[in-house]
Amino acid sequence: MQAAFREHLVRGEELGSRYALATPELALSGHSGQQLGRRAGNSIDFQDYREYQPGDDLRSIDWNVYARTDKLTIKLFREEVNPHLDIILDCSQSMNLAETEKGSCALRLAAMLGMAAENARFTHALWCGGEGFRRAENDNLRPSAWDGIEYHSNRNLDEAYAILPPRLRRAGMRVVISDLFWPGNPTTTMRRFSEGAATTIVIQVVAQADITPPEHGNIHLIDSESGESMQMFIDSMVEQRYRDTLKQHQESWDAACRGCGARFVTLTAEQFEDMLIRLEEIELLVPA
Amino acid sequence: MFPLLTYPLALIGIVSLPILAAIYLMRNRFRRKTVSSLFLWQLQERSKEGGVKVQNIQVPLIFFLELLILALLVIAATGPRWQFGSNVRPLVIVLDDSASMTATTSKGVVRELAIKALTEAIGSQRILNFRIILAGQKPSLLGSPMRTMDELQETLENWNCHAAASDLPGAVAFGREISRDDAYVLVLTDQAPPQQLADAPRLRWWSFGEANGNIGFVNVARSLAEETDRCLFEVANFSDSFQNTRLEVRAGGKLIQQKEIELVTNATKRIVLNLPKGTPAVVATLGDDAMAADNSAQLLSPLRKRVRVSVAIEDSDLARLVERSLEATGLRAALSTAPHLIIHDQPGAPAGSNTWAFQIHSTEGAKSLSGPFVIDSSHPLGRGLALNGTAWAAAPVTNKSGFLPIITSGQQALLSVNRDIIGRHRIFMNLNPQLSTVSRTPNLPILFYNLLHWRRAEMAGLEDVNFRPGTDVRIRTDGDFLKLTHPDGHLEELGVGDGRIIARAEVPGLYQVEASDGDWEFAINFLAAEESDLRAGTTAKWGTWETKAEARRYYSSVLWLFVLLGLLGIVAHQYFVTHGRSRV
Repeated sequence: MQAAFREHLVRGEELGSRYALATPELALSGHSGQQLGRRAGNSIDFQDYREYQPGDDLRSIDWNVYARTDKLTIKLFREEVNPHLDIILDCSQSMNLAETEKGSCALRLAAMLGMAAENARFTHALWCGGEGFRRAENDNLRPSAWDGIEYHSNRNLDEAYAILPPRLRRAGMRVVISDLFWPGNPTTTMRRFSEGAATTIVIQVVAQADITPPEHGNIHLIDSESGESMQMFIDSMVEQRYRDTLKQHQESWDAACRGCGARFVTLTAEQFEDMLIRLEEIELLVPA
Repeated sequence: MFPLLTYPLALIGIVSLPILAAIYLMRNRFRRKTVSSLFLWQLQERSKEGGVKVQNIQVPLIFFLELLILALLVIAATGPRWQFGSNVRPLVIVLDDSASMTATTSKGVVRELAIKALTEAIGSQRILNFRIILAGQKPSLLGSPMRTMDELQETLENWNCHAAASDLPGAVAFGREISRDDAYVLVLTDQAPPQQLADAPRLRWWSFGEANGNIGFVNVARSLAEETDRCLFEVANFSDSFQNTRLEVRAGGKLIQQKEIELVTNATKRIVLNLPKGTPAVVATLGDDAMAADNSAQLLSPLRKRVRVSVAIEDSDLARLVERSLEATGLRAALSTAPHLIIHDQPGAPAGSNTWAFQIHSTEGAKSLSGPFVIDSSHPLGRGLALNGTAWAAAPVTNKSGFLPIITSGQQALLSVNRDIIGRHRIFMNLNPQLSTVSRTPNLPILFYNLLHWRRAEMAGLEDVNFRPGTDVRIRTDGDFLKLTHPDGHLEELGVGDGRIIARAEVPGLYQVEASDGDWEFAINFLAAEESDLRAGTTAKWGTWETKAEARRYYSSVLWLFVLLGLLGIVAHQYFVTHGRSRV
């Protein structure tokens, strides 16, 4: 992994240390741990009463209620679980677009989420989408210890999923970090990533250059992943059409996310400070 | 002959061509930009107006068509005129044929410089008709009309520059005359034009000379003096400073005289040599200088032609008078063979195919005539005669039929001449010397001198052997052929005609004459003081072919052609733009 990437991870970890991952309203599930789960458990937090059923732990019978009502009633407590965060990072070459902050921003964002998850006592995993999905090295440790992250792939997330899908933890949080610049049906993609998740958040990281078309005139456009090229003459009409197309593309992803119960947010790589505000607005991060 | 541009300033419009090329160049230059993905761009529909996807110009025809249209319009704006073949003026080239064109300057030989300049000038122009006039002592055409440079080069090889003078104004006038004053005239010489030609229309005067000093022979002669030959050499210094040179005289290859000659500015010096009779041709040379033609001279031994005269006069007094007059002429030779002339006083024609007869009709009954006398001075016999105041006694006889009167008094022919069918002359003189005073005047010796001189001139051969260039060399032959060999070896056959041939020799050197009745030779020596003086030489050019206004008369406007082609180009351009695949 490039040294620069390491610096971005360290920087993201520093930023993330000030935040904790907000627990979603939908109860989480997971191994026994320190967070309250959505099911009844053996924590000290009271959840509900129900009638005794054979097999229930006799220690859970609320004897006071039995004295008053003469019915065996079980007192339920919330279970305590260790929640999990899966970070799905698009490691295609377009994410490391030259002369932009896109790649570094994505790394910092992933590191920040990883650290925020640590602060919120979430376990976490970083899935790198390339020739199939694979976990980053040491992704269960702090982000500064992560390794093996490269933007070398020329596959988008759909293609990577088709080659080797990630083993995402059920009922966990999932954050997809990508520029989402590939043709295809966003709904299909979102169904894949949101299935079995407690909550899914799609963060589209775009560079300023992705938002703003090049200056007017002749231009030779080169695809950063496929290497395909195209010569165009850009004028105001073409520029507007590009903006419209981009907007339409983002709206289709937003609609797909909403259809799958996920949230969609677009962040601009060159405006990192605004990014933190946006993440707080969507209640993904909370101050630690 | 080049296209004439009425408004050459319009050529500024030519800058539009590189501008158009720059536009195309800039149009085809693409900034390279790497983007995250092309699919957002590929989703856009292609637009006819804005042109979303750019394709390179696949067919450069439109670009070249636009360049062509611009060029045509720019040319059209200049108001082009073209000279068509029917309007092309002929060119008359006047070549100075004088010997000074062979002088050497600091840049080379004048003639070579002129040929080089002519070749360069003609090579870049569209002349369809050349005429060359040699400006020697008399203008003359050189070759036939030419149309190609090869023909011109070939003709120029005959430009030898041997003349002793150049009549350039006459040659220019001659050139204009043969071209009906419609030709361009180009004069190639070594001197400045005369005032009347300096600003002449359609005349260019190119001079390639140089003001140099020169020493040369200005006069040479070889004459008879008793038993010796007297040679005269006159050398002149045509320079602005004191000069010296070396004179060497050879005879038969043997050096017989050498001498250092010192000359102040414009001075001449005469050197006289008396050579024994029979000395062969004498060659005199001077040291090298700017002009070689006047540095050598050749003098042949002068002719010693005498007339064999037979006197057959019975009257002893008359015979004595005739003998005395004949001796006084100095032209009488000893009578060794058949006489050339018989003088007799009895009737009857003399024998011999080449013998002339001079009959003196002297009778007792003559009457004295005191004039007036009418003398045909144009006849060889009548030259120098002056009979006024003399008494001429003549017999009253009828004029002889077929005789041409030379001297008459009233109706009486006193001296008459007849030529018979074989060319013999018979002279009839009606004179009784005893009753006349003619014998006491110089008229009788003059008459006999004229007679012998005439007879000698009618003898086969040359009149003289040493000439200047351009002199008419008279050759008399009774044979049926005559061949003249020039100094350069060129053999020329001359028509014999009535036996009197005039050969015009321009080139200095030794000429040989071959005829059935004898072989002779004569020499031409370059002797021309004006040509030897090179101080007036200059290098400059004067005159123009024509003014712009004159030129337009010969250049037809071809503006319409360029406008038409431009319009065709625009139509073609429109077609390609709307129907072609090269739209961008």
